[in-house]
Amino acid sequence: MLEALIWVVVFGLIVWGLPRALAVWLETPYPMASVTSSSMWPALKRGDLILIEGVSKEELAVGDIVVWKNAEGFTIHRVVTLNQKTLVTKGDGNFEDDEPVRYEDVVGRSFGIRGKPARVAYLGFVTITLSKYSISKPDIIFSR
Amino acid sequence: MEDLQNMEENQKSPMSKGEKVLLVFGALVVLLLFYITLDANKYRAEVRVIEGAGAVGVNPTTELLDFGDLSRGTSAVRRVSIENETGIRMWIGVVRLGSITDLLRLDKNYFVLQGHTNERIEFTVYMPASGEVGTMYSGRVFVFRIPIGW
Repeated sequence: MLEALIWVVVFGLIVWGLPRALAVWLETPYPMASVTSSSMWPALKRGDLILIEGVSKEELAVGDIVVWKNAEGFTIHRVVTLNQKTLVTKGDGNFEDDEPVRYEDVVGRSFGIRGKPARVAYLGFVTITLSKYSISKPDIIFSR
Repeated sequence: MEDLQNMEENQKSPMSKGEKVLLVFGALVVLLLFYITLDANKYRAEVRVIEGAGAVGVNPTTELLDFGDLSRGTSAVRRVSIENETGIRMWIGVVRLGSITDLLRLDKNYFVLQGHTNERIEFTVYMPASGEVGTMYSGRVFVFRIPIGW
């Protein structure tokens, strides 16, 4: 019984602590991301879990895979052009560039090992599946 | 002498009731998995990337899910009909393996097929801009049918 309790505590610590530890190490509040589409195929596949590292404007280079915030959520695409105030990205599998993105909206760059993005195949499906069953916040309707 | 007798008894002792139940259950699970795997429809799937814009080459075969030759930005569709001639409801699940997996989209998966009905699954391959010209993407597609009762 005690042994089981210890395992539960250890598991809980990993689930709770790992993202926080990664956030400190990778210097970003969003250290992990799930790939939800095939727009970056074959570099990234749907269901991959990737690590994101914080990056400054000066460190960014053409060819980097970056994560940026938008109205629908987050987009993970490759940098094709770096401008003074914005950057332009494109999914490897897409034919057209994305709209220019402000540097402030860039969350980070995909963490790579030997020039390749570090990814864990299929683990991202956990997040994708869980997000389908998330409980939405109740709508508040004001009436007079 | 008594110890020797006890040892012999222990060696000859049959399995407990729980162990027997577990063994039978395990054997049934193995048999079921064997049956499901044998009963599954298996197809080889392949597509080749060719140079050009809007170019499509079709290979009209019913033996495999051959999506022919596709240039970047084009797509091809293949359909598989599943007919349930029995009165038993079937759970249908499609599993894709190989390099074609990420290119292959299905219009439906993991559904229940009622008895004496049929359903058509549409497989679509879209060749993205990152498809490597000259490369053959291939794999296997398994259509599993699991009986789930009346």
